[in-house]
Formats: sequence, C-alpha cells, structure tokens
Amino acid sequence: MTREMKLMVAAALGLAMVAGGAAYAYAYQDAAAQLRASGQAGEQADGYMGVVGSAPANIRSQVEQINIQRRAAYTQLAQQRGVTIEEAAAATACQIFAGRIGAGQYYRLPDGVWRQRNGNEPVPRPSHCG
Amino acid sequence: MIHHSLKRKVRDATHRLMARSWGRTGKGIVALAGVGLAGGCVQVTAPERPIEINLNINIRQEVVVRLQQDAQELIRNNEGIF
Repeated sequence: MTREMKLMVAAALGLAMVAGGAAYAYAYQDAAAQLRASGQAGEQADGYMGVVGSAPANIRSQVEQINIQRRAAYTQLAQQRGVTIEEAAAATACQIFAGRIGAGQYYRLPDGVWRQRNGNEPVPRPSHCG
Repeated sequence: MIHHSLKRKVRDATHRLMARSWGRTGKGIVALAGVGLAGGCVQVTAPERPIEINLNINIRQEVVVRLQQDAQELIRNNEGIF
C-alpha cells in the first residue's frame, strides 16, 4: 500500500466517524420529536410520553428511555422547588401541550383516550394547567 | 495374617459407624435448613385494590401554575427529551 492510499483510507475513516457522530447526535437530540412524528408515541397529561396502540418493541424502549430522563429532570425541579415529582411533571405537561404537539400528532388527557391533533387546531390543555 | 484381618475388621466397623452417625447428622442439618428457609419466606400477596391509573393524583393546581416558568426552562434546557 502506497503512502497516498494509506492517507486516503485514514481520511475516509475519519470522515465516516464524524458523519456517524453527527447523525447520532442529530437522532438523539430529536428523539422525542421523532417519536411524536412517527405517530406511534404521543404526549400524556402526566408529563411523560406514551405508546400509541401496539407499537413495536424498539419504539416502546425509546419511549421508556425518554421517560427515564424526563423523570430525572422532573425530580431535580421538584427538589429545587419543594414540590412533588408529579407536580413538576404535570406543570411541564402544560408547556408540552401548549407548544410541542404538531399537526396530526397524538396526545392523551386524563381520560386515557389517545387523540390526534386536527391540523393546527389548538390542543386542549389538561385541566390541572388552570 | 490374623493380625492383619483383625485390623481390617476393626477399620470396616469404624467406617460403618462413622457413616451411620454422619447420615443422622446430615439429615438433621437438612431438616434444620428446611425450617430456616420456611421461617424466612416472605409472603407476597396481591394488593387488595386494583392498581388504578389516575393522572390527577397528588397535583395541587396552584403549584402547577406557579411552576410554568420553570417548566419552560426545563424544556429549553433538555431539547432532546421534550
């Protein structure tokens, strides 16, 4: 193998790693948004994501991963403000329902029924939002 | 020769005695262990009431309203999971 070929291989490998890393970061950053867009997961009034219908195992595990991280964030906020984790989560749900659910995406109020946002019609806010 | 066979008889008898007494002790240990295990068992019974999913449990509305600013920041600082 000539010196040039070695350099080319190294460059290609480097490029692939950078591209892969960027793709991973992109996918990770938008995990919740992508799940909502897939129509297989939606937002719940309790501040967590839920699986819509009988989603495949990979969707279920992604939802679970997000919920674990959300719970950690809610726990931290709850401790800072001296409130319960449920309250921190429910408060965040108000913001999620107000601005994160896109057209045609799913949400679930305390009645337990999954509903789809109809176009750009406003999403009803959970009653606890005041 | 006689001496030799006598020695063997004594040795065999000793072995039988040891085997018998060990057998008894062994059974005793097993029995004791059984009692210990039964005594240490944790009885798990199903809860009397069914598990209900109630999204409104433990939520004070005024707290939720007060937390809106914090919730907004929480989402902004954790884009990937919201």
